[in-house]
Amino acid sequence: MNRRGFLKMATGGAVGAALLQTEACRVPLQQQKAAKDVVPRLEIPTTCDMCVNKCSMIAIVEKGVLKKLNPNPENPKSKGMLCARGNAGIQQLYDTARIKHPMIRTGERGEGKWKVVGWDEALDFAAQKLSAIKEKYGPQGTLWSSSESFQEVFFRNLSQAFGSPNSVRHPTLCLASVNLAYSVTFGTVPSFDVQNARYIIMSGANRLESFITPDTMDLIDSTTERKARLIYLDPRFTKTAAKADEWYPIKPGTDLAFILAMLNVIISENRYNKEFVSTYCTGFEQLAEHVKQYTPDWAAEETQIPAKDIFRIAREFSDAAPRAICYAGRRSSWSRDDFSMRRGQAILNAIVGNWDRQGGMVPNAKVELGELMFLPWDDPVAPRVDELDKNFPLAAKGDGVYLKLRENVLAGQPYPVKAWMIYKQDPMSAIPEQEKTLQMLRQMDFVGVIDIQMSDTAWYADVILPESTYLERLDPVEMLGGIRPVVLYRQPVVKPLHDTKPAFEIVQGLAKRLNLSQYFDYTMEQWIAEQVKPLPMDLPLDYMKKHGVYSPPQYPKYGSTLSPDHRFVTKSGKIELLSERLREAGYDPLPVYHQPSQVPEGKFRLVLGRHAFFTHASTSNNPWLNSFSPENALWIHPKPADSLGINDASLVEVASGVGSVRLKARVTPKIRTDCVFMQHGYGKRSPWLRLANSGGSDAQLIETAWDKVSGGAALHETFVKVRKV
Amino acid sequence: MATRTKRYALAIDAKKCIDCKACVVACRAENGVPLGKSRNWINEELRGDWPKLMEVFEPEQCHHCEAPACVRVCPTGASYQRADGVVAVNPSECVGCRYCMIACPYDARFFREDLGVVEKCDLCAHRLDRGELPACVETCPSKVRIFGDLNDPTSEIHQILEKRQYRLKKREAGTGPQIYYLL
Amino acid sequence: MKTIEWQYLIVSYLFLGGLSAGLYFVSALTELFRKDDDSAQEHIARLGALLASWPVMLGCTLLVFDLGHWYRAYKLFLHFRWESPMSIGSWLLMLFICISLIYAYGWTSRDGREHFFGRLPRRLRFLGILNVDVAPWRRPLAIAGLPVSVGVAIYTGVLLGAVQSRPFWNTNLVAQLFLFSALSSGCALLILVLAMRSRKFEMYQFRSLYLLDVCFLTLEFFIVVPYFIHGELSVEAVRESLKLVLGGPFTMVFWVFFMGLGLVLPWAIEVREVVPLFLTHVQLLPRMGVATPSPAGASVSVVSELSALAPPANKLHFSRGWAVAAALLVLVGGVLVRYIFVFAGQMSAIR
Repeated sequence: MNRRGFLKMATGGAVGAALLQTEACRVPLQQQKAAKDVVPRLEIPTTCDMCVNKCSMIAIVEKGVLKKLNPNPENPKSKGMLCARGNAGIQQLYDTARIKHPMIRTGERGEGKWKVVGWDEALDFAAQKLSAIKEKYGPQGTLWSSSESFQEVFFRNLSQAFGSPNSVRHPTLCLASVNLAYSVTFGTVPSFDVQNARYIIMSGANRLESFITPDTMDLIDSTTERKARLIYLDPRFTKTAAKADEWYPIKPGTDLAFILAMLNVIISENRYNKEFVSTYCTGFEQLAEHVKQYTPDWAAEETQIPAKDIFRIAREFSDAAPRAICYAGRRSSWSRDDFSMRRGQAILNAIVGNWDRQGGMVPNAKVELGELMFLPWDDPVAPRVDELDKNFPLAAKGDGVYLKLRENVLAGQPYPVKAWMIYKQDPMSAIPEQEKTLQMLRQMDFVGVIDIQMSDTAWYADVILPESTYLERLDPVEMLGGIRPVVLYRQPVVKPLHDTKPAFEIVQGLAKRLNLSQYFDYTMEQWIAEQVKPLPMDLPLDYMKKHGVYSPPQYPKYGSTLSPDHRFVTKSGKIELLSERLREAGYDPLPVYHQPSQVPEGKFRLVLGRHAFFTHASTSNNPWLNSFSPENALWIHPKPADSLGINDASLVEVASGVGSVRLKARVTPKIRTDCVFMQHGYGKRSPWLRLANSGGSDAQLIETAWDKVSGGAALHETFVKVRKV
Repeated sequence: MATRTKRYALAIDAKKCIDCKACVVACRAENGVPLGKSRNWINEELRGDWPKLMEVFEPEQCHHCEAPACVRVCPTGASYQRADGVVAVNPSECVGCRYCMIACPYDARFFREDLGVVEKCDLCAHRLDRGELPACVETCPSKVRIFGDLNDPTSEIHQILEKRQYRLKKREAGTGPQIYYLL
Repeated sequence: MKTIEWQYLIVSYLFLGGLSAGLYFVSALTELFRKDDDSAQEHIARLGALLASWPVMLGCTLLVFDLGHWYRAYKLFLHFRWESPMSIGSWLLMLFICISLIYAYGWTSRDGREHFFGRLPRRLRFLGILNVDVAPWRRPLAIAGLPVSVGVAIYTGVLLGAVQSRPFWNTNLVAQLFLFSALSSGCALLILVLAMRSRKFEMYQFRSLYLLDVCFLTLEFFIVVPYFIHGELSVEAVRESLKLVLGGPFTMVFWVFFMGLGLVLPWAIEVREVVPLFLTHVQLLPRMGVATPSPAGASVSVVSELSALAPPANKLHFSRGWAVAAALLVLVGGVLVRYIFVFAGQMSAIR
């Protein structure tokens, strides 16, 4: 290299170096600027929506990304904890399988061909269809089904403003019978003070496993720390059974026999609370006469629980009163006679006098919230399509009876229903006899679904209007009554990730196009502002934003209804052991025991249940939750499994009168020999819910049956044949 | 062993555990643990025969031993123990030889193929340093876990270990585990 | 979670490391105790020296690639943690590789070096500085390297034996087992190479290797026996872990393939070949002036009758086939014992 070359190189290098330096200086400055704009770490209180419990939590958000959901210790119901589902809420938000834009179906229903459209087009389409059907069939030609949500009120209001009487909600598949039974007896549905009870009888209420409620935490606390005794009846050895003091594998459908026998013992041995009964109850004499026939020996035959244990439990129960409860349970959709069983429970609770006492049943306290005044609409004119007045006069009108409704809709009686709007519900998975649900979907001229994921129902929709998840929305304030009532606040923790809207805005969009805007001409902020007005603090909205939950400190309070002039919301004004209302409606005024249908030879009764990681059928595609149980398996006792040649994990075919599924077998001693069990939420059709496609769907197997009085679905009345594949 | 000023430990009241997996999910969220691996887990045991059945659920994770075998065998010192007893892994020093995984009597460690290092429960050290509880302790619905400083006589864990009997797992390994299973 | 983390790469490394240690050991021992004019012994020592470095270097390469971060392997040499067998082992390996490479270099011939350095391209001529005769260092290196090679062979066993949570390993016998297995593998490889390279050779050229190997295999056998006896008399965790080879998944491979084919059978072959040698050598005893006490001439005549059966020393030769067979069996046994221990050990646990 000569001198010239060297100089060239050196200058070039120097210039280059100088340029690099300036570039290098610029970049850090840019980064500094960007860092200042973004707030590092936020803690935003809000409310969970992974199940009905609505626990309070604090979202940890870093640079606009949700990192963690921590419990909020200020909520006395959720008691500073967050369960597996609550923690997994992050995955619901960031689920890549979410519906990200409104979509309209292009192929056949169920083909899965969609075109992505803008909101205007989607809402125009839905509104046009609804209007056309209203033209042709009247507003009653539309069905509006939804599940509980802080925003459900808007959907329901829309259905009413639209003029349709046909709304159907989840209680008809869940707790219709227990709610009605307690309402008929006490005029209200109370809560159970599990935390302070000393003796707790639970029929099938798998409180320690099916989901985490305040009762779950109270139950484990009272049984482990406070020596409360738990008697648990279930054909399955669930996790609650594992923690119970005594577990009886009761013959399904015979719980009422057990209860009646307990009544028999308690009354005949004068163990009931005489003062309470005479002051607050009516119909005792008839009750006493009625239960004479239901002896423990008779009950032992029915339930397969030894008579001596029934005697003993009845005595122990009454000794522990008033801190003794016969827990009502939540999902009571078991048998055709479920209502009678819950009535029996209510009566048992009543006569030991645990009403409104510590450790007993406590009527729910409330916190009064304000209400935004908006334009009222005319009540729907046409009668409901499920003809409740005729078939189920006592059933809750707004909730409907799903199975009867479907039956009528399929038959086109008493009038055709041709449009189905569905919000936050998956009837294909939730209702028994999936074939019929599919038929119903196909029969519709229009199916519109508001949901966050491509459920099996959404798969058959004509238009999908994606809702934002609970972590992306501002919701109305919600009050949860109970022994310790709470007021809950939900605010968005991140901006919506996709082109989704809260249900409220979807409803407003539809209302505009249906000429119903006048009923929805307010903002969410206005709605909430009205709601929080009555709260005692100075700036209630600021308080709720900062704390996420408000719980009045004066609770729990006991005994406020225990004055002789208190009027129960029943016809007689007292607790009705014998119910005139039932008699007038043509039902048994006192619970009469009917034997459950016997399991036919060579078959099994199919029972259902839940586990701690799934909320029914809606969370089975959440990867964090699915990992604990990627597929369901049929629980079968080793003895019948042996005789059928079934080994653990071998494939079996389960067939009922309405369908058959294939899934793996789980041979376990944890279930009665005459029963089989499968978890809910699997065997999905929707290819978008890949993780949940495995296993088998119970919806395909369960036959249509309902509780005679409340119309609630009877999900344990199906007998199946099992064979090795 | 030098005496410590602070000694963090866990006491577990397994009879309260209902196997709800809240602790597993909370840990996954808090620490970014990938699916297929877990820093904590629940041991299940079914005993007996129909109808006399019994089932026990017992949570477990790294025991943060007093004489941790994993720290001893680590050739680079990536596995280390803090003054407060927390045993942790420094991911930038770990070469991924996995000797510590084999040395652990509790199989508490796992290998992150994506990162090439070994990982395990560190009692959410980042939360401890902020004055918060480990995620699993905070989130548990049935309050199975009691966490605190053994050397602080006012702490809940100190008091409960004075009142109740407990057992330690795999004592014969001689590592001095610090998860106290209340009897 | 219970996973088998150390698998075939580790098994290979343990075997290759032991093999190198054994090769060095045999070479060094032979070098130190041979007579200066014994060309066969010199041949064995040279072969061992030239081979010794390579298996362990291959093994270390495999080891490095088994790491989660292979490019962080250098970190092992930023620390010396005497409580960690892996730390000590890393340093030992480094030391051994250095010593064995220099030692091997000491066995290269002047002509060979001249030829090699002469053929270097111009730019690499500066490497000629390495053209030194290290031969005078052979004996000192052999002495210095003997304990290092023993260290390398033993530490592979200490690596496992020091883990208190794996009852299958947690005994000091594992280190000894791996040591003698390594030394015997070294012998075996040398026998194999020599058997395959020579057409005609005389058994007495090999007698030292055979004798050594028989000794090592015997010692190995008498370590396995107490391992089981002691284990069966030990705590429950150890007894449980031994079930893995007493009825469990490793039973067949341990007893039939390792003990049978990898230890007892080659031992028997080698003993068979060695016995005549002893018999011929017995003739030497009286010549050496060793008095053999005997009752009225009986044993002397027995000995002389047996001696008469044995062929004369210079007519003895070894079947190549048997040599290769025995050597291969020992080598396979060496791999198998490490495979069994690595896998079964990770499966064992304290209850």
